[in-house]
Amino acid sequence: MSSQCRNDFDQALLSGYLDDVLTQQDTQRVRLHLETCTTCSHLVEEMKTTREVTMTSTFATPPDDQWDERPSAGLSRLSFGLGWGILIIWFVASVGFALGQLWSGPESLTEKLLIFSALTAVTLLLLSVLIDRLKRLGSDRYRRIEK
Amino acid sequence: MVDRNETVNGVMTLSATTATEDLVRRAQNGETSARDELARENQRAAFLFALHLVGNHDDALDISQEAMLRFFSTLDRFQSGRAVRPWLFAIVRNQARDFWRRSKLRRHESLDESIPDLSRALVDDGDDPEQSAFRREQQARVWRVVSRLPRAQREILVLRDFHDLSYEEIATVLGIPMGTVMSRLHAARMNLRRKYLALASHQAARSDS
Ligand SMILES: [Zn+2]
Repeated sequence: MSSQCRNDFDQALLSGYLDDVLTQQDTQRVRLHLETCTTCSHLVEEMKTTREVTMTSTFATPPDDQWDERPSAGLSRLSFGLGWGILIIWFVASVGFALGQLWSGPESLTEKLLIFSALTAVTLLLLSVLIDRLKRLGSDRYRRIEK
Repeated sequence: MVDRNETVNGVMTLSATTATEDLVRRAQNGETSARDELARENQRAAFLFALHLVGNHDDALDISQEAMLRFFSTLDRFQSGRAVRPWLFAIVRNQARDFWRRSKLRRHESLDESIPDLSRALVDDGDDPEQSAFRREQQARVWRVVSRLPRAQREILVLRDFHDLSYEEIATVLGIPMGTVMSRLHAARMNLRRKYLALASHQAARSDS
């Protein structure tokens, strides 16, 4: 069935009419047209039915507990990032300071080497944990997209 | 949720009720219970709009959750006298666009912009069983066709005919002039009708043979 209106009539007005957004003048114009044009009056009825069908549809939505998960995850991600940022800055500053003290300090070369290697070990450990956490965070975020 | 209280150019404009306005203001002041309530009132709608944009439950949940976070992080820029939904939906739409950009690299996007069949996400709200069997079938058919509309037509159609937004609100969500809404919406409705009839005749032909 064709939806073409034979008259010189802007059919978009039918949607405006259905949604009740037309000026009084346009509403009157559509009413007059519908009295004489069965194509357009059919169309209005069809659009009305379709709107009823969509408006009364119900979709499955996630249970409430799934909602609570993410915002806190977002917040914890923020505090996670912030926490690590501050820790790294603090660590770099402390190590720098310690190395400076060590260099100009009165300790023997053996003592200097011992303290230096301890600092290196702690740095490496921190770095490995950080890399691991970052990797997990990355795969978490894109988990759903990758499948 | 909205008052119809002003008339401009013969078209109703919408503003938030004083209750929502109050809720938004309290949330802006950092009141946790107000934020929770605002989230509860809107997250389901955000999810459904996201679902209608991407057609997949998990992705829609991802998108709408990101959108809710963004909604709250930009809440202080929101004028509390305005309606919440259009503002939130515009954010959902942006998040969906980011999602498309990311996922296009990872999987093929269908050229005709169709999404997975939305009718599969329908649930029965189960009142009268006899009435609802017929309604269910109608709904399944309509939403299957909605899934096959081009993105721009699908979004304007669901904004009006599912989420029940006004023309003014739709213009806000889509960032288009209000005068464009009626013609674009009508084009979407006509295309839906055309595809619906094509599907119906295709199904009839199949059951005949
Ligand atoms: Zn006509």
